[in-house]
This record gives sequence, structure tokens and C-alpha cells, in this order.
Amino acid sequence: MSREQGAGIRNQESVDGGRPSAAARRPSLIGASPQRIEGREKVTGAATYVDDMQFGPNLLHGALKRSPVAHALIKRIDVSRAKALPGVRVIITGEDFPGYTGLYLSDRRIFALDRVRFVGEPVAAVAADTPEIAAHALELIDVAYEPQPCVFDPEFGASPEAPLLHPELGDYACQPFILPQAGTNISNWFKVRKGDMAQGWAEADLVYEHKYRVPHIQHVPMETHVCVAQQDVNARITLWSSSQSPFAQRNLIAKALHISHSKLRVITPHVGGGFGSKAGVSIEGAAVGLAMHAKGRPVKLRMTREEEFYTTFVRQGLVAHIKMGMTRDGRITAVQNRFYWDGGAYTEYGVNITRAAGYSGTGPYFVPNIHVDSYCVYTNHPIGGAMRGFGMPEIHWGIEQHIDQMAHQLGLDPMQVRLTNCLKDGQETLTGMVMHPTGLSQCIQKAADAIGWGKPSAPSGAHKRRGKGLAAMWKAPAMPPNPGSSATLRMNEDGTATVSIGGVDIGQGALTAMAQLAAEGLGVKIADVRVNTVDTDFSPYEWQTVASRLTWSMGNAVLQAAENARRQILQTVAEAWHEHIDDLDIIDGQVVSYTTEESRPLRDIVIYGMQRPDGTWIGGPVVGQGHFMPEYVTPLDPETGQGPRAVVHFTTGCQAVEVEVDDETGEVQVLKIVSAYDVGRAINPDMVRTQMEGGAVQGMSTALLEGIIFDSTGVPRNPNFTDYRIATAVDAPLETENIIVEVPQDDGPFGARGVGEHPMVPTAPAIANAVYHAVGVRVDCMPITSEKVWAALAGEPAV
Amino acid sequence: MQPFDYVVPKSHAEASALLVEGAGIVRPLMGGTDLLIRMRGGFVRPERVIDLKGLPGMCDIRPGEQGWLVVGAACTMNQVALHPLVQQHYDLLAQACNAVASYQLRNRATVGGNICNASPAADTAPALYCLDALLEICGPGGARRAPIAEFFLGPGKTALRPGEFLTAIHLPPAPTDACGVFSKLGRTKIGDISMVSAAVLVDYGLPIADFGFTETRTSHTRQSTIRHVRITLGAVGPTPLRATEAEAALALDPSPEGVKRAADLAAAAARPIDDIRASAAYRRAMVAVLVRRGIEAALAPSSSVLRPASAGGAA
Amino acid sequence: MSHTIALTVNGERYRLDVAAHHTLLQVLREQLVLTGTKNGCEAGECGACAVLITWPGAERAEPVNSCMVLAPEADGAEIVTIEGLIHDDQLDPLQQAFLATGATQCGFCTPGIVVNARALLDRNPDPTETEIREALVGNLCRCTGYIRIIEAVKMAARVGREVVG
Repeated sequence: MSREQGAGIRNQESVDGGRPSAAARRPSLIGASPQRIEGREKVTGAATYVDDMQFGPNLLHGALKRSPVAHALIKRIDVSRAKALPGVRVIITGEDFPGYTGLYLSDRRIFALDRVRFVGEPVAAVAADTPEIAAHALELIDVAYEPQPCVFDPEFGASPEAPLLHPELGDYACQPFILPQAGTNISNWFKVRKGDMAQGWAEADLVYEHKYRVPHIQHVPMETHVCVAQQDVNARITLWSSSQSPFAQRNLIAKALHISHSKLRVITPHVGGGFGSKAGVSIEGAAVGLAMHAKGRPVKLRMTREEEFYTTFVRQGLVAHIKMGMTRDGRITAVQNRFYWDGGAYTEYGVNITRAAGYSGTGPYFVPNIHVDSYCVYTNHPIGGAMRGFGMPEIHWGIEQHIDQMAHQLGLDPMQVRLTNCLKDGQETLTGMVMHPTGLSQCIQKAADAIGWGKPSAPSGAHKRRGKGLAAMWKAPAMPPNPGSSATLRMNEDGTATVSIGGVDIGQGALTAMAQLAAEGLGVKIADVRVNTVDTDFSPYEWQTVASRLTWSMGNAVLQAAENARRQILQTVAEAWHEHIDDLDIIDGQVVSYTTEESRPLRDIVIYGMQRPDGTWIGGPVVGQGHFMPEYVTPLDPETGQGPRAVVHFTTGCQAVEVEVDDETGEVQVLKIVSAYDVGRAINPDMVRTQMEGGAVQGMSTALLEGIIFDSTGVPRNPNFTDYRIATAVDAPLETENIIVEVPQDDGPFGARGVGEHPMVPTAPAIANAVYHAVGVRVDCMPITSEKVWAALAGEPAV
Repeated sequence: MQPFDYVVPKSHAEASALLVEGAGIVRPLMGGTDLLIRMRGGFVRPERVIDLKGLPGMCDIRPGEQGWLVVGAACTMNQVALHPLVQQHYDLLAQACNAVASYQLRNRATVGGNICNASPAADTAPALYCLDALLEICGPGGARRAPIAEFFLGPGKTALRPGEFLTAIHLPPAPTDACGVFSKLGRTKIGDISMVSAAVLVDYGLPIADFGFTETRTSHTRQSTIRHVRITLGAVGPTPLRATEAEAALALDPSPEGVKRAADLAAAAARPIDDIRASAAYRRAMVAVLVRRGIEAALAPSSSVLRPASAGGAA
Repeated sequence: MSHTIALTVNGERYRLDVAAHHTLLQVLREQLVLTGTKNGCEAGECGACAVLITWPGAERAEPVNSCMVLAPEADGAEIVTIEGLIHDDQLDPLQQAFLATGATQCGFCTPGIVVNARALLDRNPDPTETEIREALVGNLCRCTGYIRIIEAVKMAARVGREVVG
């Protein structure tokens, strides 16, 4: 995008004919840390989430009939007994909505039609007067299944022996950069071929190969998926949805149900956490389907915690084979990785995780010779979707342990090995993209310093042993090449501004960051900016709240909208006052002239305009608009993965941890986590730090505790908080330190790039490396349970 | 939850009659922390729920005869753990109660409910085994008492007969010179269902307390005066398990070697299974660790007679 | 089966017809439309639905997960929800501390945590960090990593002691 549009880095020195710019003259709101603008609602319980909205006694309660088996043909669905139950108003099945849908690959229906592919797959939906009646009705729906052989392991699934789960794969529509392998279970195969592998191995003094595993993880937003749908007399449908993707939901559901986008309205109030699980579409299509038959009554569909665990989205499992060559002085000569993703029953979203893993498949290192295969494999597990990190925590689990292990084998300092190999400005990434300026080396150095790298600390008692570990990371926003953002800023009669955006604050602080950008761009106080939650009838378009892209992409749009409004205002004033626009500024809601020192509050300008000396009027209601879309991402060669620009940018960083391990029980206590990330420019440094801290603890929780456990028939055995434990206040590290590194992003607002996902990417391998340092055992299969550490220490067989 | 009736009986006899007459379709309710989850999940579908909490004495903690303490079955975990008499004389039980779930759940969960669910992982059970608790049971034929060790029959199975319910837990007079330590290992540091738990009680055989006793002694030389030892294991068998051979070994020889031998004997007494929380092998190995550490803490010269050093929770 | 119960919520007295199979959480959210109390798991594990209850005859309010109380069991109880912590438009010191420290992100767990922390400070005005962490072990938060929450409780405790002292 062009600099005139105003969303590039703003020159702090001088832009306007030698005169100090507005940004230089007034105290900047960028880099300040105002409290979150919706904080008061949240701490008082007044913030409205979907389940808090009131729809009156007419509300119907929806429920989904789910498959109890992992893979079967549906022979018959009999809903007659359920239909006869008093209080049941609507029952729908796959026959009502046979079309395919999906974000990157259309391989999925709202309800299973002829075949179920995972335990929990919806086969029918009911809407009834009470939740109890709906639950009872589900029991009265009779489904006959003919069991089919299952695939529960992605490596087996990718083999020719595996039963075919999607014989129709070759017919599915998909984005051009997704490469399904018809006739197999591989729904995307991303390849990188670069350099000369034989030469890479020959140059290495050590070649080491190992296999790492990551289980399925659940996002665990504290608010489960919930939505309400209602159809009006004009067949317009409103969907109130706890969603990261109101616009993507509108788009996908409208297409799947063959209705006009203008006839579907999605409203998203506050969202109780997402972490990727509320990206795309999961239960919302079913709610809309029910509403279309509910004769105008609203229908609510709310997931129980048990349903949330395995029926919406999960993070995909991964089996990673990593082979690396290194010289004795610690230079990486070659990498050959094979990633087998357990994509689950449908990979409409997961295919792009596989792609992201492929184009990031070396980790943040310069490697001359590369061979990466990233396979998205259908299995009879729950549907893999986006989760914070989008494939990066999974691949870094192996890569970052692998480097550590090789450094130890060569007698080198793992931190120095990372500094030696980490990507520097101008080096080529594995896909041939030139690395933009990055603070990765700084992050590694600062994290190591803050943890006291190389300095032992004394354990707290007998049988306790301490260790330190670190891991580096990179991650690009993973998305189509051209996802757009837009924003409007409307001035109000009193000189305050209302900003409308299509991105969602799911807790990360987007509303506040946007308020800062708008206030800065316009020249008002943050308190005078209101930022709306999303209503697709009134909010401008936003692709999705994913990929850590809002601060950067939506931030550009908001800043541009604010500057656009500012210019409109100043043009009006310049004409009314007969001044040059460059001599005018807006400071704290007042237009000021640097020549006459005259000032006028915005409230006297922005709606009714200004009166010229001759008594006529100029101006009128001010509405600023802005949009942003990256225009420079290039396609990659499908055979080599090479191309000039694979992604918009990479956010890089490093975490260092100290742990204490009980060498009898295997318990791991995380003492401290240091996070250091290059965020380009921190719009709100305190919120950046809370992202780092929260992400680190989420990463720690997955590292030590989490994983969905399936029985041999694919039934999840721990879909509840009793058996799927997440970290509590007692498990959280005793100390955290969060370090902001700022190497500006050339097209970010004030140089900012995103950091929402990154803080949980390197946490798990950093902890694994620290455990290794403490007790000399390496856990290659997440999570690092006490039992696994004990077993490794005791020489017991792996568990 | 599917609809049901909620009934509050006014007398023990009425409660018992309600349980008899509704056999198969009624459920007794105390704290509800287990029952509500199972009803919501559809695992149990009572037509009637009988709330026993309101019956006389169910929520009381009072001194009984001859130095016994009577804990009403519907007393919450917090009520028990925070009660001065429990803290002074049955600290082992207070530790076990405090090791259950979270503070706000311990305001609902009851000691009686914990026992009646008969989970092998019930945290209060090992403590109550060590304290030789007697359970008071009310039924159609009136009241009876049973030692806790005869109450647990297997996972989810108790000695309650049709129409019977637990009314109180009777704790024998506490030895004044005993030190108890409860420890458990969960996946999270505290609040998890136990993968393994162990209660250790070492009694030095000094005169029995009455409840006016307030002396606090902080240091001892104990190695040669052990009168008896109780070691009970949780979550490593179909019921809580007394490790009697380990107890005998420790009573004979409280030296470091003896402690280790006792811990190994306790591990040998365990009958663990593999489940999603832990493997049998890990559980067995952890029995030895928890028991050894528990004994060491109980024997430590620094441990107070009345308030052992260990605060419970994770080992 | 319907029961008529009397209860006091945030100082207001109510007589309500409730279903035996509904929980106090449902009564608060659906019948009284006090939606600050959140439904996170309905299994007593997450603490999002924590409220303060003074049972009939009890001296002190205690935190309880309202999903673990059947509606008729609440008869006679006095209840304070997150909405009841504001007095005369003044935020509770804990609420202020949550804002000041950045202890809320998505905000869904916040009401339950604030309520439970209020109970902690009421019974222990000067808790150690360990006591704070242990008191909050039944309140799950997936956003913040708890560190800021612990800081907020410490800050509110300091403010509370200054007010008292």
C-alpha cells in the first residue's frame, strides 16, 4: 500500500514541509498502556456474551445428535419418534443441507449425510421448547450405522494400506495453494526442495534423526461455543455468534445454504476466549439450519463443556520426523523433515496449517539444503482446526528439542548454536523469501540473559534438580495471500468518534489497541473513541480474527480511517479559516492553528460543518474510512515450495525457562518463564506483555498436562475438566518476565506486527530442554507428564 | 438435567422409608458435587432426589462420649478441615479434606459423600482408615455402626443396604502424641483426583487426650517409642488399602533403613491399575515415595505433635 | 416439580418458583437475568459460576459454585453475585485492581474469580502468594496465565489493609 494512504510507518521527525509533524508535537498514544476500554464491563459482569442475551420465552433450544462411532456408513435415520415428542419444534438432518462447505477445502457438510467420520459428528439437530425436551428428543432419534475400518494414526493414514476416508477428495473444491492428493487420505501435501541434500549431509559432522509426537489439544476457551439464529418474515437470518470470524461465518454459511450474503447478518458481542477454536464455522451452520425451519422463533445452540472438548475444533496431532546435519562448530547444513498431521475427519481448515508448517518447516534458521514434506492426513479423529500458533507450537516441539540435542551431542552451548543459525536480515528463508529486518538474535540474547543462562541455581530441597532451557521461534500470519481489513470512523456531535471494525476482541485487547490507533490518527483522547463490537450489517469487512493479524492489518485500516477523517476535518477548517492545511493540527479534540494559535473544538466542526466568513457553510458529517490488504504475496512452486514472498512477514522470538524437577516423582515445577518477542512496535506495551504471559502459561499447560486421550475405537476418554487438566493458579510459573523487542515492520501501523499467538509457540520445547538440562532425560512425546519423566529416569519402558 | 422431584425428609425414618420405597429411582443427596454431574451427564436418572442434609445432626461436628468426635456425614470438607477440634486432634483428616478439589468446591463436597461414592481415590478415606473411624449408618432397622474398612467393598460399592444411608463418622479419641501426614500426587499440583495418595499416622503412645488439651509440643525424640503405626493407600486398589506389613515393619524399626523397608512393603501391598491418569507401574513406584516421605515427615523432630509440618496437598 | 423458594440476591428479596432439576446458576442467569455469573462447565471445575452464599443460620458468606446447588437447596439463602460487588457505583477494590493490573482478558472467568477472591480477602485480609494461588485453584483462566490475577488480589489486599488501618 502507498505511503499517502497514511498507514505506513510514520516519520517521527518531519513530514510536512520542514514543520514538525503532528505526531512529534503531541504526546503519542502509541506505546502508552491505557487500561482496556471494555475492562469495566468485564470486571463487573456487565459485559454481554451471546449466552447472556435475552430472547424471551419464544426461544427454542437446539441440540445435536452425534455419532457414537468413529467411522461408519449411515444406513438409516429415523426421527419419527423424536418428532412426536411434545415440545419438539424442528428436526433437521443431512438431507436438508447436503452441500459441502469449508474454508480452504470444501470437504465438510453441516451434518453427516451418508457417512460419519468421527465420534461426535452431528447427524441431526433438534430444536425444542426446553433443553430437557431437546435432550430427550435426541435419544429418540434412531440411527443405523454400518461400521467401517478406521484410521487413527496419520502415518498409517498416509500409507497405501489405509482405508480411504474421503473417496470424493478429488472432487472437492479448494483454494489454489492447497494440493489434495486424490485417491489417498492426504488432503494437502506441501513440499520444500532447496539446495543439495547430499552435499548438506556430506558437510555435516553430525547427522541426527528423531521422531517427535504432539497429541490433540483442546483450546479450552472458558466460554464454550454458543450461537442463536433467527429468521424473520423476509427470510433474513440473524446469527448471534461467539465467533472470531463473523464475516467468514456469513460467507461460508450463506454459500453453503445458498442464501444471499445480504440476507444473513452475524452479530458478535463479547467473546469469552477463542484461541482459534471460534475461527471459521463449526456449530453455527446447524443453528441457522434450525432457524430456517423454526417459523421465526430464535434457536440457541450452546455446547456443553464435554461437547466443546471434541466436537467443534481441536488442535491437530502431529508426528514429526526430523533429520538434521550440523558441523562441529554448530552450523546447520541440512534439514529433512516429514510432518504427518492428524487432520481428523475433515481438514477444511487444517490443510492450511499443514501448509504453514511446510513453509516454516526449518524453524527460524538459515539452512542451505532443505527437504520438507508436510502431509495433512485424514483420520477418524475430531476435526483439526486453527489453534493459537497454527502449527508452529507443534513443529517447534520437535525442531527446538532436536537442535538442543545436537548441540549437547557436539558439546556446544544450545543458545550459541541458535545464535549462529538464526535468520538474520537479508538471509533467505527455506522458501526463498528474503528475511525482513528481525530482532530474533536480540530476543535470544535477552531471554538468555534474563534467565541467567549458564548460571546454576540451587534446588529447593532433596530430590530436586534444576535446569534451564530455551527455544526460539518464528511464525507468519497464515492466511490466503489477500485477506482484507476495513474500518470506518464516524464523528459524533460532541466531537467523540465511533470506530467500526469487523475484527473481534477475544480477549487480546483489539478494541483498546484500535482505540489507541484511532485516537492517535485523529488527534483525540482515547476516552473519546468508542470502538464497536461486530455486526456485519454495520461493521466493515474483516477477513477473520486469526493469525495475529489484527494489530497489523486491521490496525492499518483503522489508522487510515482516522487519518482520513482528520484530513476531512482539517480541509474544512483550512477553507473556513483561509489557512494551509499543514498549519493545522488536531490535539486532544481541538483543531489548532500553528499560525494564528486559534483553536476550535471538534464538536463545532464535525457534524454541522463550519461557517465561512460570508455566512455560508462548508463541511458536514465526517466519516473516515480505511482499508488494507497485502498485495505482494506470491504463489509458491508446488514442487519446490520456492517463491519470492511466501508470507507477509514473520514475528520472531525466544523463551527461556527454569524448571525444578523432582527426581523421584518426575514432577516438573516451572519456576520462571522469560519471553522475548520482536513485535515491531508495541502499540500497548502492557497488553503485549499480558499476551506473552498468558501465552506462555497456555504453552506450559499444554507442555506438562494436556492431550486428548482416545480409546482404541476413537472415543475421547477425557472430555471434561476432571480428566483433561489445564494449568491452575498453583501450576502457573512462580515468575515471568516479558521483554519487548522492537524492529519495525515496514507496513505495520507505526511499525507494529502481531504477537497474539507467538508466546505459546516455543514454551513446550523450552520446558523440555530445561527438563533435559535438569535431569538428563528427554521427553519427545507431549505432554511431559510426571510419569514420563519418572519412567525415563527409572529406565522404565516409555509410557 | 432431566426433571426429578426434590424431597426433604423430616426424620431419619422418613428418609430411610423414602429410599426403600424408591429403590432404583431415588438418589440420596448430600453435597451434590458428584450426583449433579452424573445427573447432568445422564449417567443416573433418578425420579426423586432425597436431600439428607437437613436431618438432625447431619451437618454437626460435636464431641461424643469418652473422648470420641462425631462428624455429621453432610459436613462439608471446609467445615471439617477448619473445625478447631479436627485441627487440634485429627489434623490428618484436616489435611485430607484440604487436599480435595478447590476451596469453593469444598464448601459443597461432604465427607460423607466422599465416602459413599466409594471411589478408590477418595482423599478422606485413607485418613479415616488410619484414624480407625467408625461409620454410623441409619436404615430401616434403625442405626448401626461399621468400621470404615468394612464399608468400602470396591469401586462405587459400599456396605450400605437398601434404605440405608450414612449419618455420621465417629472418630476414636485421638492419641495426643501422634503425627499424621496425608500426601497425594495428582497431575496438577493441587486439586486433582489423586493418582496415588497415602496417609501415615505414627502414634507414640502417650496418654489419650480429652478436648481440653491444648499443649503444643514442637520437638521430640521419638525413634524408640512408637506404639503403633497406620499406613493407608488411596487410588492404588479397588478400595483404600491398609499397608499392614509396612506398619509392622516401621513400628519395629523406625531407622532410615526401616522407613525405606516400610515404604517398599507399602508399594508391594498396592494393587494398582492402569487408567488415563497413570499407569500401575508409576502408581506402585509412587506409593513407595509418598509413604517414605510421609513417614519421614511424621518422624521429623521438627514436626509438631498437634500440627505436623506438612500442610497436605501434593507430596 | 416446582418449588417456591425465598432468597435474597444482592440485597433484594425474591420469592421464586423454581424447577427441582435446575441449578442455582440457572435461577440466577435465566430467572433473575443476573448474567454476570457465567456457565463454564456445569461440573464445579472451572469456577466461572462462583457466587457468595450465606446459608440460613451461617455467620459468613462462603464462595460456592452455583452450578453445584440445586435451585430448591438455595431456599433461604442470601446470595451475592458479581453484580452485587458494586456499591453506589463504586467498584470493589478487587475490580479496580483487576483493571489496574490487566488481570482480565476475555473476561469470561473474571466474575467468578473476583467473587472468589473477595471471599478470600474477607476471611484472610493479608494472604500470602501461596494462599492466593491455592484459594484460586478452582477458577480456571485460559487467557491471562494467572500472574496478573494474583497481582490484582495482592493489590486489592494492600488497598483493603490501608483502608482498615
